[in-house]
Amino acid sequence: MKKLMTLLALLMTISLILSACGGGNATEAPAEAPIDNSVDAPAEAPAEATAGEPVTLNVGTTYIWDTANPTFGWYGYTIRYMIYDTLVEEQGISNFQPGLAESWEVSDDGLVWTFKIREGVKFHDGTPCDANAVAWSLNWTLEQDVETFAFYLYNFDEIVALDDTTLQVTLSNPVGNMEYLLMYVWILPESVWGDLTSEQIGEFEDVAAATGTGPYILTDWSEGEYLILEANKDYWRTTPAIDKIIYHEYATEDAMVQALQAGEIDVVDTAPSTAIQTLQDDPNVEVPIMGSTTIDELIINSYEDGTQPASLWDPAVRLAIAYGIDKQQIVNVAYLGYADTLGPVVPASMGDWHNSDIVDIPFDVAEGNRVLDEAGYMDSDGDGVREFSDGSPLEYRFYGTDSATNARILEIIADGLKQVGISASPTLMDEDSLIALYPAFDFDMIYWGWGLDPDPDFAMLIFTCDQRVEGGWSDSGYCDQDFEDMYIEQGITVDHEARRALIWKMQEKLFNDRPYILLTNAKNIQAYRSDRFTGFGLEPGDILWKAALLQAKPIQ
Amino acid sequence: MQRSDYLIRKIIFALATLAAVVVFNFFLFRILPGDPVKLIIHSPRMTAEAQERIKSNFGLDKPVWFNQEGFQEEGISGAFDTQFTAYLRELTKGDLGVSFSTRKDVSELIKERIWRTVVLVVVGELLAIFIGVILGMVAAWRRGTSLDTSILLYGLFTWAMPTFFFGIILLIISGGRFPIGGMVTPGLKPDDGLVYWQDVGRHLILPTLTLTILYLSEYMLIMRSSVVEVLSEDYILTAKAKGLNAFQTFRDHALKNAMLPMVTIIALTLGYTVGGAIQVETVFSWPGIGRLMFDAVQKRDYPVLQGTFLILAVSVIIANLIADLLYAALDPRVKPD
Repeated sequence: MKKLMTLLALLMTISLILSACGGGNATEAPAEAPIDNSVDAPAEAPAEATAGEPVTLNVGTTYIWDTANPTFGWYGYTIRYMIYDTLVEEQGISNFQPGLAESWEVSDDGLVWTFKIREGVKFHDGTPCDANAVAWSLNWTLEQDVETFAFYLYNFDEIVALDDTTLQVTLSNPVGNMEYLLMYVWILPESVWGDLTSEQIGEFEDVAAATGTGPYILTDWSEGEYLILEANKDYWRTTPAIDKIIYHEYATEDAMVQALQAGEIDVVDTAPSTAIQTLQDDPNVEVPIMGSTTIDELIINSYEDGTQPASLWDPAVRLAIAYGIDKQQIVNVAYLGYADTLGPVVPASMGDWHNSDIVDIPFDVAEGNRVLDEAGYMDSDGDGVREFSDGSPLEYRFYGTDSATNARILEIIADGLKQVGISASPTLMDEDSLIALYPAFDFDMIYWGWGLDPDPDFAMLIFTCDQRVEGGWSDSGYCDQDFEDMYIEQGITVDHEARRALIWKMQEKLFNDRPYILLTNAKNIQAYRSDRFTGFGLEPGDILWKAALLQAKPIQ
Repeated sequence: MQRSDYLIRKIIFALATLAAVVVFNFFLFRILPGDPVKLIIHSPRMTAEAQERIKSNFGLDKPVWFNQEGFQEEGISGAFDTQFTAYLRELTKGDLGVSFSTRKDVSELIKERIWRTVVLVVVGELLAIFIGVILGMVAAWRRGTSLDTSILLYGLFTWAMPTFFFGIILLIISGGRFPIGGMVTPGLKPDDGLVYWQDVGRHLILPTLTLTILYLSEYMLIMRSSVVEVLSEDYILTAKAKGLNAFQTFRDHALKNAMLPMVTIIALTLGYTVGGAIQVETVFSWPGIGRLMFDAVQKRDYPVLQGTFLILAVSVIIANLIADLLYAALDPRVKPD
């Protein structure tokens, strides 16, 4: 028995250690990474660079990817974009440019889209990628219901190649974000996938699964260790100036930073904010600080059958909470200054989707107190916490995930709220416990953060009523008929200006109803060896993103 | 007769422990809050059919341990059409399931990783045992001198040192003279022969140094106290009285007896070899079993967690058994309790 207990204790200890270590978020395909404008500019004299030793770029990352098979690989999107092309590519956050499609036009009813497909493009295995190949790939994606990206095409009724360079798509409903949908759909070759059954597709692990038309070819991959890409000399856009890219997997960001300084690698895909100062002081290292679509927010339970107290429904209380939060201090403490405070749910980094008319509620304790005084919430028993009309105190359950930084942030928020007479003592828990509160919406307020898609659709989707089911993505429980109507409307509005106006209105609605009080929009921070490489595109987000990386050159 | 009884009892006990671990392993992860389905359905835009298809691919469409619906329709046999029975059935075939995130067979993932961990830990452990035992002997032999005190201080200091902290310090002070992460320079394969193994050797230096420096203190402290204890036994006095000199007494009478507890410790520690290097593997980005577990926890990859925990438990149970058996063989005083 004693031995069994020892064993149990051992297992427990291990799981405790593991869960304690497991705080970091694995970066999951947010596909939010933007690229630079000047992709079509030919790389300068690539022939010179390749004259002697092949130019190798060593990249450090904390997770390479899950599988070489794109039909179920959800991680490593920046690498996949090096291998595959899409009809449309992202050019900066929420801004698109032609990819395999040179140009496109849409019929007046918004249902028929005609794409002109680039000529002379070949897959890595030499088979041609013309309009017929693209049509095959899109149809195959839908037939196989490819897990990772078929859902972007659910609205596509008919996909046909009219000739070698013309692709025609007929939709069942008009869509307002065609470019965005297409930037996720890899064009895959029939020569690799055509003969496989659904089951074989699900088990295909060979590096051949990574055959595309992109600037780099996958030549080697060892799970948990490294991945090697070699330049595709026949790439249709330009011959890459870097011959070989090696991605190294490090278990911690700290080790990665050490490796960069020691010269083992040339780029780190994320620099922890605590290492920024050290890296900036290193004369051989450049630290680009770029925009991102990562947002942090205070979620206020807005589910009608949730367990939150009635007072939390009062707009005055929500407004007072907004006045009580010192967002700038959160920026300073949690992000050491490398973030912006945020008002509307769509951050400024997303260009004109961001409603710049919204004036954020400032940190203003006096005003917060005035609002609550006016609404009749008084502290009648003198304990520093105001009471609701039924005598219950303004006391809320306030949760966040367990980390040292979060502990500070929750404290900052709780301190501010205390000053307006609201009590919210923070409770930290692991992510799974937090998620487990959701089926019943059993919370009052949660501090949380995530990354937005480059198109505002997803940011709005999570506030729709249908997402409040098991497995749904609503985290506030918000449901509002006006908002619902606008969401459906923006989805079928093809005209950009009209759709933008709707998205602005929706942000305003959310800003006033406050299912979220937005807090911060973090910067994306990377680092590279400036003594070895130069010219990375910095356009908001990610120097490892296809177009940004294609501009990089070795220093002779 | 008594001795074979002892053996049989120990083996039966090991098997029972294993069975308990198999069951415990399954439920351990499922009683934690959270839903693995959320982690394999990555997009809310997938159709319901697509979501169902993925769930059934992983067997997550069935109830965890009791099938209410099946029970009503088909009675007892239906009631046990569950994730748990599927897990047991596959396990008896040696199938550890398929990873949620990489969709590879868990047994294959473990096979790829386990030898890397074994290489790392065995080298570190052997060095630690060798140096630790010698230092322990020297300290006990020179008991009370300043040499003993320094060795003891060193032992207590490194024993108390957190592995990850020491590893990071080593990383920083080595300043890039040795590889900071990984096991091999990308692109090299075992087929490259000597070049490959030299490269692995270079990558082994820092993690092995960490393991050796931190692990040897345990062996050293136990060896020292064991020898000291033996030296105070009556038969040592007898040996001295017989006229043996101090060194002969030490070598022939003290050491042999003092090695007994060491055998147990070494056997037990080797049981932890498989999973014991999680922290070192994490600090030095060594792609072994520890990293596999670490990643699986972050991704809530149940099949990988179950598989790695099982391997870990099995190796501990086997090591325990070996320690019991060895001890019985070495020490005639061991009798069934």
